[in-house]
Amino acid sequence: MRPEEFPEILPAASPDRELMTRITVSMTRDLKPERPLRSAGAAVSSLLVVFLAMAVLGAATLGFFGLIRLSSGAIALIFPALAGLTLLAAAASVNAMTPGSKRPFHPAVLMVAACGVMAAIFLLIFRDTSLGRFVPQGLACMRTGLLWAIPTAVFSWIVLRRGYAVNRAAAGIACGTLAGLAGLTVLELHCPNFRLWHILVWHLAVVPIAAAIVGAIYFFGSKRKAAELMQ
Amino acid sequence: MQPAAELEQLMVRYQQGDAAGIAELIQRLSPQLYRFFLAQLVSRRYADDLLQETWLRIHQARHTYRPGEPVLPWIYALARHVRVDHYRRTRRREDRERQVDELPVTPAVQPAASAGPDVQAMLQQLPESQREVLVMLKVSGMSIEEVARATSSSVGSVKQKAHRAYERLRRLYEA
Repeated sequence: MRPEEFPEILPAASPDRELMTRITVSMTRDLKPERPLRSAGAAVSSLLVVFLAMAVLGAATLGFFGLIRLSSGAIALIFPALAGLTLLAAAASVNAMTPGSKRPFHPAVLMVAACGVMAAIFLLIFRDTSLGRFVPQGLACMRTGLLWAIPTAVFSWIVLRRGYAVNRAAAGIACGTLAGLAGLTVLELHCPNFRLWHILVWHLAVVPIAAAIVGAIYFFGSKRKAAELMQ
Repeated sequence: MQPAAELEQLMVRYQQGDAAGIAELIQRLSPQLYRFFLAQLVSRRYADDLLQETWLRIHQARHTYRPGEPVLPWIYALARHVRVDHYRRTRRREDRERQVDELPVTPAVQPAASAGPDVQAMLQQLPESQREVLVMLKVSGMSIEEVARATSSSVGSVKQKAHRAYERLRRLYEA
């Protein structure tokens, strides 16, 4: 058997006419015009505005102490990388909420790659391997990062809410990664603690934790909504 | 096969509230969606249910179609979602039923009465992801790019799955 023979040998089948009529009647009843989703570019731009607003607002509220102490080389490495990863996360979030759109990689892969890229950059820049008050300072930073990730996730959801996620968990992970990157950006702008392990563990942890939380909320939230629709 | 531009026009008319547009789409796409479900080894009764549920989902999500984008990946992404939901529901129900009474699981699809190879039986031996890709490519007539969009995967992954499915079918056919 050759692949091209496949359609011919598969048994033909067609739905009943009565069923098709029933579907047509139920779908044309009270049919109203619907405004299509905005273009993907416009949605991505909106998400970038949300990200930028949250990152700047967060750092302005807490103080730009980290940015002031960073060398120009470190700034040139960290912030363009964050911007690039945010762009990818925004595009992944928009695609995840549009059925049948291109998805070159799974949002979980993007989240892991984002952590890997940022970890590599931090390893290049920061050399102080002392621990200091590792846990108390770390917990405070992680809490701050997550606190700024939450409004980013909420505003991102407002931008994306008209979409339809065929993979709810993936959509949540994409949006959570974006929110986590906003939290990480706030920390890089604000935190003057340049100890390597502090940044690698507590700052970076904001990204996977935000992705996991938002992923879970999307998954269980949409599941409940779907169950309500079915009733 | 459906000329893509015509489907796009019908979809836009449907979004604009034109009943004739959706009626035409249902007439054109229902047979191939039905075959898609049947080839995924569901029974005719379930295929009817899945077809209805898919159109309901299409109706609810019709605003998420962006004019100018290909229609088939959008439709099949929703159809696939419906099928996966159905699969999960069925599996949960079967698990519960098995706990109550150890009943054997009956095959869902009646084998086709034909002198040729039993394609349904061969399909049953393919992993689900390969079967899905094969059915979209060969039954629904979608391109590799369209299948990649519908299944939320990369073009390379679709090519690999299709290649493995063909190889396996060929071996089964020759055996």
